[in-house]
Amino acid sequence: MASKQLSTIRKWVLSSPPAEWALNQLRELLIGAIKQGEVPRHVAFVMDGNRRYARSRRIETVEGHNLGFEALARILEVCYKSGVHTVTIYAFSIENFKRSRYEVDALMDMAKIKLTQLSQHGELLDRYGARIRILGQRELLKPDVLEAMDRACDMTKHNTETVLNVCFPYTSRDEITTAIRRTVQEYSKPVKRPRTEQKRLSPFTEERITQTLKTQHRDSFQAEERLQDLEPKTLSSPSLSSASLSDFQTRLSRSQSLDAKDHDHEADTSSESSSATTNLHYELLSPSSASSPPTSYAGSPQSKPQLRPSNTTSPEHSQKELSSYPSPESITSGTITSHLFTADDPPLDLMIRTSGVERLSDFMLWQCHEETRVVFLDVLWPEFDLWQFLPVLWEWQWRGRKEEQRRRLIEGRLV
Amino acid sequence: MPFNQDDTRFYRQDVDSRGQTMSVDERRELLERYLPRPSELRSSSAREQVRDQKRKQRRSRRLRPYLKQRLHLAIYLIIQLLFGIFIRVRQIVSALFQKFIAVRHYHHRTPAYIQKDLKGLSRLPEHLSVILRYDARSDDGLETLLDDVAELAAWSTAAGIPLLSVYEKTGVLKQYMSAVQEIVQQKLVLYFGAPPSTPVLQVFAPNYPSLSPLPSPQINGTTNTNLNLSLLLLSESDGRETLVDLTRTLTEMAQAQKLRPKDITVDLIDTEISASTSVPAPSNNAQRTNGHKKTNGVKHDDTYLPSEPDLLIVFAPVIKLDGYPPWQIRLTEIFCVGDSGGDVSGRSRTRVEYQGFLRALWNYAGAEFRFGS
Repeated sequence: MASKQLSTIRKWVLSSPPAEWALNQLRELLIGAIKQGEVPRHVAFVMDGNRRYARSRRIETVEGHNLGFEALARILEVCYKSGVHTVTIYAFSIENFKRSRYEVDALMDMAKIKLTQLSQHGELLDRYGARIRILGQRELLKPDVLEAMDRACDMTKHNTETVLNVCFPYTSRDEITTAIRRTVQEYSKPVKRPRTEQKRLSPFTEERITQTLKTQHRDSFQAEERLQDLEPKTLSSPSLSSASLSDFQTRLSRSQSLDAKDHDHEADTSSESSSATTNLHYELLSPSSASSPPTSYAGSPQSKPQLRPSNTTSPEHSQKELSSYPSPESITSGTITSHLFTADDPPLDLMIRTSGVERLSDFMLWQCHEETRVVFLDVLWPEFDLWQFLPVLWEWQWRGRKEEQRRRLIEGRLV
Repeated sequence: MPFNQDDTRFYRQDVDSRGQTMSVDERRELLERYLPRPSELRSSSAREQVRDQKRKQRRSRRLRPYLKQRLHLAIYLIIQLLFGIFIRVRQIVSALFQKFIAVRHYHHRTPAYIQKDLKGLSRLPEHLSVILRYDARSDDGLETLLDDVAELAAWSTAAGIPLLSVYEKTGVLKQYMSAVQEIVQQKLVLYFGAPPSTPVLQVFAPNYPSLSPLPSPQINGTTNTNLNLSLLLLSESDGRETLVDLTRTLTEMAQAQKLRPKDITVDLIDTEISASTSVPAPSNNAQRTNGHKKTNGVKHDDTYLPSEPDLLIVFAPVIKLDGYPPWQIRLTEIFCVGDSGGDVSGRSRTRVEYQGFLRALWNYAGAEFRFGS
């Protein structure tokens, strides 16, 4: 009995105006102190423990969720006042749809009301530059919730100071799958490449090949010349077009040291008449480039539809050959990261899960498996307040400073 | 700051009536009493606040925010100092606690002691995973790492855990796979006795050919133990890189019109990824005693051991996953051995100790399991 009276007295004292004022001043002081050091840019929260809290206090589960929302407001306030840029919260998992229909409906209802109320305070949000984003698989939600969501998101789309990502309904595996699917879709779109880009690097240059061919022809021509008179012969070499044949012959008869000039001339005429010749192996020749033609080689793996050389005469065929798919080799982990829902956000620095459960439960797996500090706290979400959150930030700052010192020490030793 | 009593009551009334009690303006007034000025949010240094206040041009106005910022800085330094002391004290306490457990429960290289320590636990993981760190800079980094792996393998076998996967970021273990097999086999002989009573060991690594079990001199050609251990070595390339490779393959298939993008589902990727790290179950799989429940509701093919770890032990002061393959740890319990001094940032060699292993398994058995509903 005495303890119960003590607790009521304590509650009465704490809620009296001077005590409240003192507590608020203390909170402000501590938050201001946090800002002097380094603060994580992106923090994620798994809001776990609402139902357990409701069970232990013997109140309705929905009431537990409402208290959870109040806790969320408190924590968001602490975060944004401390200078955190992005906060991501795990509001609803795709697995949670398995819960009782009553509870799911109540949660959807709460979300809809809160979002509608949020949309009514547009100028307040604009004043602080706050932006709300809803991440997740939208197809699973009902249209009225979707409408409220879209309205709130669109209203705050232009703000950039602080971001709140609400994951609703969300599963990390689903997010990764969607990112992969989007990447595949992007890479399945044929891409028209500009003509100048179609050179392929290869150790073989056009010049040498034409040079060799020329010497061959010259040798055979000279051999024939010696046998007969200077009889104009139609050379059957595939590298000469009929237009340049007579030129070549006259020049050759004059002198044999104009190889370079001949080559240039030949190259020019070849490029001009490329679409008209029938037997050319290469398609695009710009006089300035020295790279080899894209000859058809079977060296590439068979499943990649590469650029195919044009063997046809018609211009529209050569036009079609210009489009190809982007190479799958250029896909990196950065590509997938840029297709995630959180592509625009800074990397995740800190992830906090309440209620003592020590699992990730399909939340931000891709984002947090590298450098993120994962913290599991033993407090239930509705009770989560500044007093439990500040030690986590303090520890983060402390370890950050030690890491910095260590790094400076190592660099000092190396230098 | 949190609302005061009356405001809280008013707010909760509003929530109960589904937003009908308060009007938009009333709510805005309520909130505005608590919201800070926007300038306070953005500015953190005295100079910016001074710039804001410059219009006022009154000395007292400029002095106040400057003093406030100085006060905050002083409090920050004091807090960091006190917190540093607190962390050191906590490290000492946890070191003492861990030493106490280590003294009380020592394995003495005898499997029977290990089994006694784990008796009566409601569940044991079928797939145990650990994150180790290789200290390339110290001379005996590789040696201690191999020894740690061997010790963990011996303890897991004694505990009856069929699959142990070791994650080490740089992948140095995969390069020395045969050395790993040799050293682990020696350790198993040390713990369990000479063959034929040594457990059967198999070492795997994704994308590497699996090593055949070491030939051991056997009297009549069979082993009389039904204990076995499959050891899976993982590294950073099994994380994001594997998913990127899968994306590349899927892209190639899509470009060749063998696959439509909307055929890519979670199940497809799950099948592929678990196939990449799958370990075939050994033929004599009857080593689990009947007292242990099945861990989670995920059904898996009995010809393969589960590809998702049930328990992940991080042998470091803080939990940083350091590139561990992200897809498989969806529902994995993560246990951190805790900070016991010496190594603050967790970048030097990890200390693998038996008491850490024990505490992880005790914690796992006591953990509740709720799968979404």
